[in-house]
Order: sequence, then structure tokens, then C-alpha cells
Amino acid sequence: MSKVSYVTGLFLGALATVVMMNQAATASGSPGSESVKDKIEHATEPFDSMKVTTAYPLPVKTVEAREQYQGGGFKVLARKDQITRFRCSVCHNDKPVKVQNGVLFTHSDIQLNHGLGRNMLTCNECHSIQDRDFLVDKEGRKIDFDHSYQLCGKCHFRQKRDWLGGAHGKRETYWAGERVVRNCTSCHSPHSPAFPTKMPATYSLPLDE
Amino acid sequence: MDSSKKKEGRMQTEDMAEKKSSRRDFIKKMSIAAAAGSAGLVVGGCSGTPASEKMGLKWQEYFKKHYRLMTQEEKDATVTRLERLAKLERGIDVQMSDQGPHEQVLFGYAFNISRCKGYMDCVEACVQENNLDRRGKTQYVRIFEMDPGQLDPTAGDGQYHHEVPVKNKFYMGVQCFHCENAPCIKACPTKATWREPDGIVVIDYDWCIGCRYCLAACPYWGRRFNWGDPEVPNEEINLKQHYLGNRMRMKGVMEKCTFCIQRTRQGKLPACADACPTGSRVFGNLLDPDSEIRFVLANKKVFRFKEDLGTDPKFWYFMD
Repeated sequence: MSKVSYVTGLFLGALATVVMMNQAATASGSPGSESVKDKIEHATEPFDSMKVTTAYPLPVKTVEAREQYQGGGFKVLARKDQITRFRCSVCHNDKPVKVQNGVLFTHSDIQLNHGLGRNMLTCNECHSIQDRDFLVDKEGRKIDFDHSYQLCGKCHFRQKRDWLGGAHGKRETYWAGERVVRNCTSCHSPHSPAFPTKMPATYSLPLDE
Repeated sequence: MDSSKKKEGRMQTEDMAEKKSSRRDFIKKMSIAAAAGSAGLVVGGCSGTPASEKMGLKWQEYFKKHYRLMTQEEKDATVTRLERLAKLERGIDVQMSDQGPHEQVLFGYAFNISRCKGYMDCVEACVQENNLDRRGKTQYVRIFEMDPGQLDPTAGDGQYHHEVPVKNKFYMGVQCFHCENAPCIKACPTKATWREPDGIVVIDYDWCIGCRYCLAACPYWGRRFNWGDPEVPNEEINLKQHYLGNRMRMKGVMEKCTFCIQRTRQGKLPACADACPTGSRVFGNLLDPDSEIRFVLANKKVFRFKEDLGTDPKFWYFMD
């Protein structure tokens, strides 16, 4: 009889230990120790980044983008006021041009290096012949210089998809506040879009030093 | 003598929260009085001189609490003291902040290893922004030139001296990954390092005793130690500082990347992400389903460094 109660006691003791351990495990899985993945999955409500009031509009010229990203409308850096001789139609019109001004007028400073080998682009594949103040796509639609992503994205559609979402390109100074992203032409020269090679700004010591 | 007083102050943190107006308060008051008195003696009996003011401020700094135990008033007071001390000691007008985290914000970072070209503008920007020691060449951010297929930055070369990018190499940046389950926090014997609600792992420099356990615990080499007093020329000091961020560190304390807490809590990108000319660095709020970082996590091939350790870092690598 006493042996039976002893065994029962042992069994109950073991059971209690298991239950307590389980409770401890659940307690350690409380919100405080949630993994990043869980936290991300639980966060479905869009964050109102305008709440971060210190993210005020920058003194840069921007335009409302003609497309939307996953969070709605956004802005891109303006391009037209960066082009030194805009509007192009000031020169590109029907008026005659003096020969001695030719050097200034021929854009001899532009090195065209866009596209590979036989597919190298020429001026009029992007610039409109009819209206020099606009770009033009293959279907003949006029595209504003401020919205060059509409043209670039015709070929570089993967980059454009990433750019819209935020995996390509970058935001201007702020992660919060109004979404202002750099235009394609803010970083890439449209005539020679590949980044140049250059010397690194500094050097890094090995990790374990 | 100073250091022993400092240590004593530190050892009593835990009791402090419970016992208000205790022996500790008494000692504090006494020490401030003593400081004022002794400073007065040193400068020949006249009080109110810069030297005695400096000494008084320093005494009060010795007896302040751990950042997490301070009330908002106490935080503001220590910030004001530190600003005044910077003025007295170096003649610079520091604007120090103790801004807290925003609600519903968890910072995350993604690094594009197929876009980075190894220009190292990020490294330089970080040094400038965070007032890093110029003499010891402290860096939070490091970039390594790697061979294809390699994924261990210890085997990469950070001291390349040629034009970049080089064909058939890729560039990998490492810094503090701000782990959710950070080993460095567990290793700290004085609770001088912790994870803020917005996910940034920070250090209270005044509470660090310099044991470097965290340095040993971090599997990512994310922490730096000040073997000497950090040297930054006065004209290069970034005056916009944060108590937990880029304020001047001292000899014998740990420091590390804080996701530029002084910038990111104001809605700005960290200095490295802002300086990157290639757009390889994506930073944002992980709790916002519309943010750029969430787009990267949802649509790109991502991985985390040494994910199998279970440290749960908030820093992803991705490729196009």
C-alpha cells in the first residue's frame, strides 16, 4: 500500500514539474521576447509617418509622381531646373543659328554611353524630335523631363518596380514624413548611366581588430 | 578617488529605484557641497568661477542615475549639464537631445550586396556624424571587398587601395545589427546596454565599466572599445548630439552604431544610408507595411548574417 502511494507521489511530482516547465516556456514567449518576424507579421496597420513632426519638407524642388507606390502617392526630385539650358526650345526652334555659336550649340560635352554594343542608344531614342522640351517613348508619347522614370522604366522595368517599392534608389534624407525619392536622373547620368569607378573614401580595418 | 566614487555610485543603481531619499541622496547632497567647497578652495576662495562650476557639474554627473531610471526632468538636467560642460571644457555649443522613441516604430536595415560599389562614403559619413575617434580610427561601419561565393566578412579585404568597383568582386558592409535577441545585452554585468522600444541597442556610456564582455559576446564584431580618450578636432565635432548616441565618449567605455539615434528619432535616415551614392542602403520602419524596408523583405532575396545563432538581427542583406 505504502509503495503504491510512493509511486503515485513520484508520478504526481513528475507531472507537476512538466506542467511548471511548460508554464515557464509560455511565459518566456511573452510579447517582450517576440521575434522580429512575429512583430512584422502582426504589424498590418500602416504607420502614419507624418506623426514624426521633425521630418519637415526639404528645401528641394519636388514634383508629385504620376505613379503610386504601395503607400499611395509620393514625390520625386524635380529635374527640369537641374538642366542648365532648359527650355530646349529656346535654341531648338525654326530661327536660324549663327555658325560661330555652333560649338556652344552642339552639345559636344555629352558623351553618350547608354546601351551595350550594337544596342547603343542615340539622342532621338529618348528625346523628341517634334517637341524638344519633352522626352518621347517608342509609342510616341511625350514624357516630361521631371517624370523620366516613365521613360526609363520602359526598358528597365525591373529596376522601376524596385524603385517604386523602395528597393532601388533612395529617399531624400528622411525615412519618415512625406515620401520624397530621388529620380532616376538624380543618381544616373542619362547619357552614361553606369556608375564611374573611383577611389574609395577611406579603408576598413579587419573585423577582429 | 574620483573613480572609486563613480564606482560606488554605479553599484547602488538597483536599490535606487526602491529607496527614495535614502543614504544615497544624503551622500549626493554632501558630495555636491563638498565639491563646491573644495573647488572654492582650489581657486582661492572665490566661488562662481568656470573652474568651480565645472567641478560642481562633474560631481553632479558622477552621482546621476542610470538613463532608464531617470525621470524626464533628470534626463533634461543631465543633458543641460553635459551641454554646459562641453562649453566649459571645449568651448563648443553642443545641442544635446534625449528624445525618446516613437510609438509603432521598429527600425530595420537592408543592405544590397549586388549594388554596393565599395566607395566607402558611408564609412566616412559615419565617422563625421558620430564623432568617432580620429586617432584610433574607430569605425562603426566597415566595407569589405569579397570574392564571389564568399559570405564571411572576416575573410574579406577592407584595405583595398584601387579604383572600385572591381569586376568579379562584391562589397559587403557590416556594422551593429541591432539584434532583437542580442547577446551583448545579456553579457553586460551593469545593464549599461539595452534595446530601446524602437529596436535600437544603445549604451549608457556613464554606466559602462569597460569590462568588454559585450565585445566578446557579439558574434558580429559590432562593438568598439575606447582604449584612450577619443580625439576629435573641435571644428569637426558634430554638435547635434543625443545622450545615447554620438555625444563624446570617454576612455574605457564601449561604443557602437546606434542607427544614428540622433537622426533617426527625428525622422532622418542614418548618416550611412544618407551618404550612400548607390542606394544600397535601405532603412525604415519594420512595423509599417508600406515602408521601403518591408518591400525589400517581401519582394527580394534576403538573408541575415549568422542567422542560425538565433540573435534575430534587424539587418538584412539582399540582392537584385
